[in-house]
Amino acid sequence: MLRSAGLPGRRVLAVCIAIVAVAGPAQAKPWWLRGAAGAGRDFLPPGVAFRVSARIVGRRVAIRWDIAHGYYLYRSKMQVAAASPDLIVGRLHLPPGVHLTDRYFGAQEVYYRRVEASVPFTRLDFGAHPLQIKLTYQGCATAGLCYPPIVEVIFPDAYPAAGAAPSPSTASAMWEWLAIAAGMLAFLVAGLVGRRARQSPRPDP
Amino acid sequence: MKRTRAIPAAAVVVFVAAWSGVRLSGHRGVPVPAGESSAPTAADRVPIPAPPLPSVRIPQRVPPFTLTGLDGKPRSIAQFQGHSLIINFWATWCGPCRREIPLLQSIASAWRGRHFAVVGVAVDRRENVAKFARRFKIRYPLMSGEQDALAVATAFGVATPAFPFTVFSDERGRIVALYLGELHRPQIDLILGVVQALNANRIALPAARRAVATGLARLDSDTAAG
Repeated sequence: MLRSAGLPGRRVLAVCIAIVAVAGPAQAKPWWLRGAAGAGRDFLPPGVAFRVSARIVGRRVAIRWDIAHGYYLYRSKMQVAAASPDLIVGRLHLPPGVHLTDRYFGAQEVYYRRVEASVPFTRLDFGAHPLQIKLTYQGCATAGLCYPPIVEVIFPDAYPAAGAAPSPSTASAMWEWLAIAAGMLAFLVAGLVGRRARQSPRPDP
Repeated sequence: MKRTRAIPAAAVVVFVAAWSGVRLSGHRGVPVPAGESSAPTAADRVPIPAPPLPSVRIPQRVPPFTLTGLDGKPRSIAQFQGHSLIINFWATWCGPCRREIPLLQSIASAWRGRHFAVVGVAVDRRENVAKFARRFKIRYPLMSGEQDALAVATAFGVATPAFPFTVFSDERGRIVALYLGELHRPQIDLILGVVQALNANRIALPAARRAVATGLARLDSDTAAG
């Protein structure tokens, strides 16, 4: 009984394996979708090619783009705007980029690998709203593909303030060791007090 | 006596409470942006592993669509029925798109009168496209649009817009290849050769698609090796 029940199960398993074997590679590499010559791989989605992170440093927001190998961002296309109420943002400070001469666009300044920018801000809401900044940027793959301008709202409040205070992991480790030391000290003091209390003559009731 | 024993016991309680309080405060879970340290590391040079642009469902045939011509009048792709098409999606702000325009111009001239047509679909404002077409003397037909042109790109299966991309179809409107990225002469010659063979019934459609895929892979490896 058990053997006869096991046979259809094996067949189903074999069929499943066959389907996965056939469908797997077909899905991974569609026959008609090809990247540019020499790329050796398909193109990345824009959110992966250009990754943004931000943090508050004093009265400025430090914004950083991590750019995947083989991709670049145009300096002239980077913009910031206030996206939360009662927020004023200043001019975006960008480092000089790499000069790229395009036959049609002329001289262009671009960034490879990474770019760190900063923007001054003033909050008139006393922190009532989460800080939101709208970023616009645009980039391409060196293998010959460009993405339309990307508009993204970032929340620098979501990350801890940096610069003035030690990093969160250092701070937590410091407080942890301080608590251990305080506990040990309390234990020692309590032990000493207890010993002294035992040694001292008790008054007769 | 009771009082003296209570003091060390209280100290133990304080110690345990302080320890567990710090352990449970969750400081270790604070989100830190990826790659926060500013010093460059070896990892920075490694390409970020990620899935490719989402795999798309390319239609079997060129979907019907109508956009605006440079004269402001509606222009339908149906007017090119019976032609093998090279439908090039581009934008004026896109460098690689601009670079491949001379190649498309020369292809349009070389294949004129042989039931081949190059059609440019600009995902851009019509004024920008008209100005650009005048400046660069583009002679093949152009259509343009913004959201409507993006919808056409999506109809071809390119849901995440990125430019340029070019669709090649045979005389019967069957899609033979969709090429994402800047085209170069060897790639375009290869695909057009296959389309020609398909039109002459020397090859079936599945074999044509395979020929394009293997031919492009060979060109890729040749370029990488060279």
